[in-house]
Amino acid sequence: MHFVTGGAYNGKTKWVKELYGLENKALWLSGYRKEQPEMFDFQGNTVILQGLDAWIQQDAETMDTDSIRIRWKEIMADWRIWEKERDENICIVIGSDISKGIVPMEARDRRWRDACGWVFQDVASLSTRVDIIWYGINQRIK
Amino acid sequence: MEKARLCFITGGVRSGKSGFAEKKALEYALQMNGQLHYLACGRVSDAEMGERILRHQKDRENSPIAWRTSEYATDITRIGADINQDSIILLDCLTTLLDNELFGPGIPLEKEFLHSVFIKILDGINEIRKQSSCLIIVSNELVQEPIFQNDFLHIYGKTLGLLHQAIVGQADEAYLVESGIPLVMKGCMQV
Repeated sequence: MHFVTGGAYNGKTKWVKELYGLENKALWLSGYRKEQPEMFDFQGNTVILQGLDAWIQQDAETMDTDSIRIRWKEIMADWRIWEKERDENICIVIGSDISKGIVPMEARDRRWRDACGWVFQDVASLSTRVDIIWYGINQRIK
Repeated sequence: MEKARLCFITGGVRSGKSGFAEKKALEYALQMNGQLHYLACGRVSDAEMGERILRHQKDRENSPIAWRTSEYATDITRIGADINQDSIILLDCLTTLLDNELFGPGIPLEKEFLHSVFIKILDGINEIRKQSSCLIIVSNELVQEPIFQNDFLHIYGKTLGLLHQAIVGQADEAYLVESGIPLVMKGCMQV
């Protein structure tokens, strides 16, 4: 698993496409497009979960922080199983960092931000590689 | 024609990015035997802003090589009349320039207009680089917070983020200044 984070509009997706030379063969599942972060019939070996922050934002509408964290542990566990099926399988997770600003007014937004922090930590700890993207430049931190 | 060296410097408020940018400019001026030129994009909007500008002016007065100052809040290519191929230009700062270009004309912030401002700023940078020996651009680091609920912040953050990506892509050097300490993100540090 490869986790890619950094601020919004820093070029994370573009960087992932360039690093892995992707355009066609990969499966892109997007939280911004409200797709489900789950496997369906797919024969390729690269899956990108794009917009982890957006999925968590949806979760925060109805769930508490702990439940969100548990949900994502389960989702990531499934992707880890898929990765182990074949050596070439890789799951790349992209999430915008929303943790560096003032505390949001709305409880729901605070929940969203807190859950993002926890889930990002969990995903990073499962990942063999973690990069922070700063205006198109990566800093590998794991 | 060879283009001027491009150096991008960003950081938070009061991170020491302007001080570092001035040091960087001086280093280039000594190396390349160039002239220092300050491109101020800020408008004096209140007393605090005035003080801030004065303090930076005082800093530059103490510089071993004299600075010339040009003030262009928009349309930065106008500096072409004040510079030459030996000029080392410090643009301070990109966020004020973007503010002025976006909100000056009173045009609704629609896609087409935003794109035209994006192109205008990049073209301006390109033009200046054809007429000088080095361009240093100072900008503010974007906040990393939930910007998506607020349309205005979303649009602004997106435009600034895309500008930063484009500039860092072209830059010979890029730095992120944290608490006065410059971190090299691209290129090499010579100071």
